[in-house]
Amino acid sequence: MARARERISPAVIIAAAGLMLVVAVPFVFILLQAVFPRLGQGSLAAPFSALAGAFGDGRLIGMVANTLLLGLLVVGLSAAVAVPLAVLRALFRVPGAVIWDVVFLIPFMIPPYIATLGWIMTLQPRGYLAQVAGFDLAGFLFSLPGIVFVMTLNTFPVVYFAVSRTMAAVGSRYADVARIFGASPGRAFWRITLPLSTPGLAASLLLVFAMAIEEYGTPAALGGRAGFQVLVTAIDLRVSDWPIDLPGAAILSLVLVVLSFGAFLLQRRVLTRRSYQTTTGKPQDTPRRELGRWRWPVLALFALVAFVAAGLPLLAILATALSRTISGGLAWSNMGLANFAAILGDTTGAVKALATSLSLGVAAALITGLLGALSAYAVVKSQVRGRGLLDALTILPNALPGIVVAVGLILAWNQPWLPVTPYNTVLILLLAYCCILLPQPVRYATAAFHQIGDNLEAAARVSGAAPLVAFRRILLPLIMPSLLASMLLVFAVATRELVASVVVAPVGVSTISTYIWRQFEQGSVGLGMAMALLTILITTALPLIVLSLMGRRGSLL
Amino acid sequence: MLKTTLRAGVAAAALLTAGTALADVTVYTAGPASLIEQLAAGFAAETGIKVEFFQATTGKVMARIEAEAANPVVDVLISASWDTATDFTARGWLLPYSSPNAATVPDFLKTETAVAQGVSALAIAWNPASGTPKPAEWADLAKPEYQNLVTLPDPAQSGATFELVAALSGTAGWDLFKGLAGNGAIVAGANAEALNPVLQGAKAAVFGAVDYISLNGQAKGETIEVIFPASGTVIAPRPVMIMNWSKNQDDAKKFVDYILSDAGQAIVAATNLMPARSDIAADRPLIADLKILPVDAEAVYGQRAATLATFASTFAK
Repeated sequence: MARARERISPAVIIAAAGLMLVVAVPFVFILLQAVFPRLGQGSLAAPFSALAGAFGDGRLIGMVANTLLLGLLVVGLSAAVAVPLAVLRALFRVPGAVIWDVVFLIPFMIPPYIATLGWIMTLQPRGYLAQVAGFDLAGFLFSLPGIVFVMTLNTFPVVYFAVSRTMAAVGSRYADVARIFGASPGRAFWRITLPLSTPGLAASLLLVFAMAIEEYGTPAALGGRAGFQVLVTAIDLRVSDWPIDLPGAAILSLVLVVLSFGAFLLQRRVLTRRSYQTTTGKPQDTPRRELGRWRWPVLALFALVAFVAAGLPLLAILATALSRTISGGLAWSNMGLANFAAILGDTTGAVKALATSLSLGVAAALITGLLGALSAYAVVKSQVRGRGLLDALTILPNALPGIVVAVGLILAWNQPWLPVTPYNTVLILLLAYCCILLPQPVRYATAAFHQIGDNLEAAARVSGAAPLVAFRRILLPLIMPSLLASMLLVFAVATRELVASVVVAPVGVSTISTYIWRQFEQGSVGLGMAMALLTILITTALPLIVLSLMGRRGSLL
Repeated sequence: MLKTTLRAGVAAAALLTAGTALADVTVYTAGPASLIEQLAAGFAAETGIKVEFFQATTGKVMARIEAEAANPVVDVLISASWDTATDFTARGWLLPYSSPNAATVPDFLKTETAVAQGVSALAIAWNPASGTPKPAEWADLAKPEYQNLVTLPDPAQSGATFELVAALSGTAGWDLFKGLAGNGAIVAGANAEALNPVLQGAKAAVFGAVDYISLNGQAKGETIEVIFPASGTVIAPRPVMIMNWSKNQDDAKKFVDYILSDAGQAIVAATNLMPARSDIAADRPLIADLKILPVDAEAVYGQRAATLATFASTFAK
């Protein structure tokens, strides 16, 4: 190794710098806050003094166990719902496939706190279900199975899109080879197609696990009554209950990070055990098989999941948005468009909040998409030393609760000696969203890169292409479907992010989520739900329009 | 492709930054949002001074101030809990100021460093369509008629609820709360989360609802009644404070004057809060109409952790 290493690709340098800025800076300040309790006042006094208090909490072990249990159950149920649907979608000609894809986007577009409130208003005694059908399911909803059910409906699309895309990319070519050598269709699927799709499956399950242990709204609203406490609810209490305990919150967040890291290492082991390269430059056409007599049962399955995951919550939201009063219930005399008129007439600042959040969502999607692709490239395709560290940085934010990211950003960017700072401008929200959501594009792009043969980039380089050119002309187009899908998810989540936005929003700026939250807080549930419905429609339609304008290159659907 | 994306990102960023202007006075406030919006608009119209605000729950506002403490930006703080004023005075963070407009604010609603903007009281919020008899007293909600039909805001998340729990348990012990827990009452998050099931009819009554939210709901046509028990309740004055690090102290003082002016107090009264000044009329029961339970703030907040722990174990599943 006496010879100088190959010059480090600019792509790797950009990725490293971006990750430093977006992830490492706030994380370092969270670490510092955990160690130095008086960091907020600019003092480094009494290091480590907060550890005893945070770890001395007798409920900690129970909360960690509950957090793990919740994460694993949501992962399990998400896989159970999404994988069969994804396999059918990828390998068979499902009637109306594109429509099902759009419909399965919707549950992901419904903000979790809205979906939860919708389910409460539907299933609680005298809720919408009781008003329509005469019975309620409150006992089920306010329990661990209820929490897992509601959270799975929000997260299963992540698995569905990742697995169906990966599996479509794997295609049936390898399975066909197995068939020629005498394997039965089932055996070819279990031994060839499913294992080759592992990158997408593992990546999406990791995302779901991290989302589940980090999610605040649903466990807080449903778990409180069941006595089911998780780490995030304890963290939020420390940040919102006077006296504020920032060091305690930082320390508990680090516990969450450790949990998420465990899952991450497991996923890495799975992925590095063997090669998943299926995109090698050989021609690939993936003719989908006919369903035959299974056509109707399969359609019924898709319709059932779509109705429960998208239809019912949307109906609950619509009913609430149309109601003049909540106590009036589902009566024609109680229905009206007053809430929508209030939003579109912009007497309440709603349009400005919409514009702010939508532009932030677009910006966050572009930045995390670019940074995610470069980071994934650096981790999977380059031989740079320390790429494991880069990979670790990309998973960190996934485990950090939004509220802790917000506190880290304030601590980092509100230092008096900084000549310029994004703090108290809209850019701080952009930084927060990029930090929280970066893992999505990275996971998707990493999975895609794992499937691309090294020979393709090498061929470009041999033919004289510079590293960035090879990245742009060869690799980026190949991972584009996965990357676009993840950018879409970023857009959806960034436009509705609540927990960090509430704390870090600059003075005088409302986002969609803080607007909705304020309506709820003041008891204007209908107005909040009307805004939520408009948001869901816009965040679902906008990406679809963009993708269809991009034609075949935006082949998400 | 790469360059285009970069360029688009930079353009979007530039576009976003352009929208932020520096305010003359920066206000951090607990809700309601409509109140601070109207106060800011009225103040700007009268003085030409621009007010920008950040609104969240008292807890989130405090978290932000705590994280910003090395380089604070807030000029005026409006909290929903008087405890904030006591604590910040002890830390030496507040600027002493007595507004000329505070002359008719009762003495128990002002100190050297803080003055109430308005006052809310806790009450029973009851849904008349729930098929239950109308409750009159806190203790009524522990009766069998209200089995599984009562919600309480979490005292760990609502300062006013904490004071109610402390006051009632201090005078009469924990039997009332044991009775409620035994009767299937549930602790349901913050104030709005406790009220929502009562509006839809899943529950019949909130034990310790913040009065102005329910009164606003009533005004919008919700089937909800606000009942102040004759045995007494607690009030939550909402202190306005000027931070001593403020670089805009003159403008900040003018804003406090405006909040306490006839026009400002009329806006407060219109949101169904009790105005701080005793000479302002409001279309709702006022402090003089209510029996207020004595709360020895120092003793009560000294016992806060213990009281919350007892409450939590009383309602533990």
